[in-house]
Amino acid sequence: MIDFTLSKSQLTFREYAHQVAVEEMRPISLECDRTEKIPESFFWNMQKRFWGGAAAQARAQGQEEDELKQDNVRSMLSQEEMAWGDAALSTAIPGPGLAAPPILSQGTQEQQMRFLAPYMDGQLHWGALALTEPGIGSDVAGMSTTAVVDGDEWVLNGHKHYITNGARADLIVTFATIDKSLGREGIRPFVVPKGTPGFVVGRIEEKMGLRASQTAELVFENCRIPKENLLSGRESSKKAGFKAAMGTLDATRPMVGALAVGIARAAYETACQWMQEELPKGYPVQKRREIEADLEEIRQELEMARFLVWRAAWMADQRIPNSKEASMCKAYAGGLVMKSTATAVRVTAPGENSEHKQLIQKWFRDAKVFDIFEGTAQIQRLVIARRLFPEVDIP
Amino acid sequence: MLNFAPTEEQEEIRRLAQSLAVEQLRPHGRSAEQRGNISLELMHTLMQTGLTTPFPETLGGSGAIEAVTYTLIAEELGFGDGGLAMNVISSLMGPVTVLLAGNESQRGHYIMPFCDEREGYMRHGSLAFAERTGGYTLAEISTTARQEGENYILNGTKRDVIHGVHAMPRVVLARLEGTAGLDGLCAIAVPKQPEGMHVKSDVQKLGLIAAPSASFLFEHAAVPATWLLGEPGNSGIIRAAALYSILRAGVACGMARAAFEYARDYAKGRIAFGRPIASYQGIAFIVAEMAMKLDAARLLTWRAAASWDRGEENSTVVQQAEAAQYQAVTIAKAATIDAIQVMGGAGFMQDHPAEMWMRNAAAME
Repeated sequence: MIDFTLSKSQLTFREYAHQVAVEEMRPISLECDRTEKIPESFFWNMQKRFWGGAAAQARAQGQEEDELKQDNVRSMLSQEEMAWGDAALSTAIPGPGLAAPPILSQGTQEQQMRFLAPYMDGQLHWGALALTEPGIGSDVAGMSTTAVVDGDEWVLNGHKHYITNGARADLIVTFATIDKSLGREGIRPFVVPKGTPGFVVGRIEEKMGLRASQTAELVFENCRIPKENLLSGRESSKKAGFKAAMGTLDATRPMVGALAVGIARAAYETACQWMQEELPKGYPVQKRREIEADLEEIRQELEMARFLVWRAAWMADQRIPNSKEASMCKAYAGGLVMKSTATAVRVTAPGENSEHKQLIQKWFRDAKVFDIFEGTAQIQRLVIARRLFPEVDIP
Repeated sequence: MLNFAPTEEQEEIRRLAQSLAVEQLRPHGRSAEQRGNISLELMHTLMQTGLTTPFPETLGGSGAIEAVTYTLIAEELGFGDGGLAMNVISSLMGPVTVLLAGNESQRGHYIMPFCDEREGYMRHGSLAFAERTGGYTLAEISTTARQEGENYILNGTKRDVIHGVHAMPRVVLARLEGTAGLDGLCAIAVPKQPEGMHVKSDVQKLGLIAAPSASFLFEHAAVPATWLLGEPGNSGIIRAAALYSILRAGVACGMARAAFEYARDYAKGRIAFGRPIASYQGIAFIVAEMAMKLDAARLLTWRAAASWDRGEENSTVVQQAEAAQYQAVTIAKAATIDAIQVMGGAGFMQDHPAEMWMRNAAAME
């Protein structure tokens, strides 16, 4: 039965996440953006809130019982609230982060325990996912980072960049090719632990938005890792590696969509609040009506974006293939967050340089990358189109 | 608990509506446009399925209307032909408003004839909603009803009233003088034209030509208080109006889907420079955009319908219904325009239905 209501545990979790956003993120948001630094206390607070006590126990259980306990919808709700708080800070919450999906989907039971259990020791740990290279983005088949077997080890060589949490991650799931002539079928996911000789962190990027989020360049020079760090548990077919990369994107695109919805909502709400509290005296009535109509349209589009995200997550929970729907929600939300933040900037332009206005301007800068990472707006449309035209080759 | 799958029963009804849309509505879209109305044969066929009598079984119907189920039907009908879909659904809104807002005797009087096995299919109802100064937004209703003794005095305009010339019941939405928003709304069934009510049939319409419509002008038109459906301001009036918005959104989703699928299939078959035009990103992305926005509008529409069925607060349901309608119509307009663009010159020609669909979507405003 078609139903848009959330379960009690989902609502409770969303409320919890919202509270965290209000108490831990908003107060330090502007400062972290300005300095591109996050105070150590934030990490510890987040560690306690999301990994401490009961939360850790629940997670451990969920992992033991395999992925059955996955609740993608719940995690979308959390992502939206976190991004409503601060999207950059949300990427820095301790945990395996983007490294988790490939480990869970492609790792053996043993690998899952080996790589993910340490995240529950109560200390600060991060994970990262390294796919993008200076020469390739969405076209992963053109990957140039190589992995070659030498005795009991894999030897990695290559360059990765734009890697979120790359410098602080305890382990990095790195995609590399074992045979360039195989194209995308030669791609495999490897787990590289921090401190492995031959693995060096390069420069940390300076960005227009998400400035508090750490974006690193990673260099692998004869980096040797044990053979058993190749994630290949689930499928031994040739396509496994490529599938892992693509499967990761199917899982992370709705997540990015949810984050975009969170920022879009923050900008919308704050613009509405500004209209109530900070509208300059003598503001023309006609203009006010126009703005209210614009904001109402954004409110409606926000709901559509959110429902597209929920649907993609719900499909994942139901084990229904969702790559078209994942791309739809990401593409739609990526466009909306630009529209919402740009409108908020325009609406609040006449005001004084208040905190509301500064936040809106920060979100406008943060927003742009949501139309880009995890596949640009154009790549999403390509994914959708290929699903709509399975018999047509769209180059 | 979040769920995006219709029930088995709803799927069955949706499939029935889809087969009607494909086999009956789509092939008759053009001829209905030429006739300016639905044919009696088609009405008869539809009546036999039970889809056009969503009234309680005690009144002879096939079961009282539910928003989600009927939204699925509306999309299928709109997918078949937007003009015919609006003809059927607008007609239905007359008796449905009586069902939701009227009293027992009004229900029996107005609804039972629709369920008559021999003649029911020939009947039309109508619901006058939009006005010269507004759209399908309840707060914009400005036609007033002022009580004067046994009568109510009506003043105002109504536009695009489908079946407005010949309908029974002909229901008019108005508000008590001095009220605003969702307060004081009245629904008046007008069985015969009182003095001061002027009806003008719409000619040379842009679209939805298969759904004949009229505009009304009320100049101090006195109607007996007994014509009011239930009490002024009753909740059923608001729910009926919200349901109309939801079903119009459903039809608009169907229009968008028709345009999307037609353009998709055309792009697969049309060859340019040795390749199907779907293989060019410039075309493929347009179609991808249509599919994405259709899904977005459909979800918004489903949510409003689900809230209607759950009996959420009227203000919530109305807000969701009106948002769904606005977005679905906006997306239907864009999709039908884009379909023509994908088809190039062929889209402009009346050999294909795309140009009719573009006019139909634009006429939903």
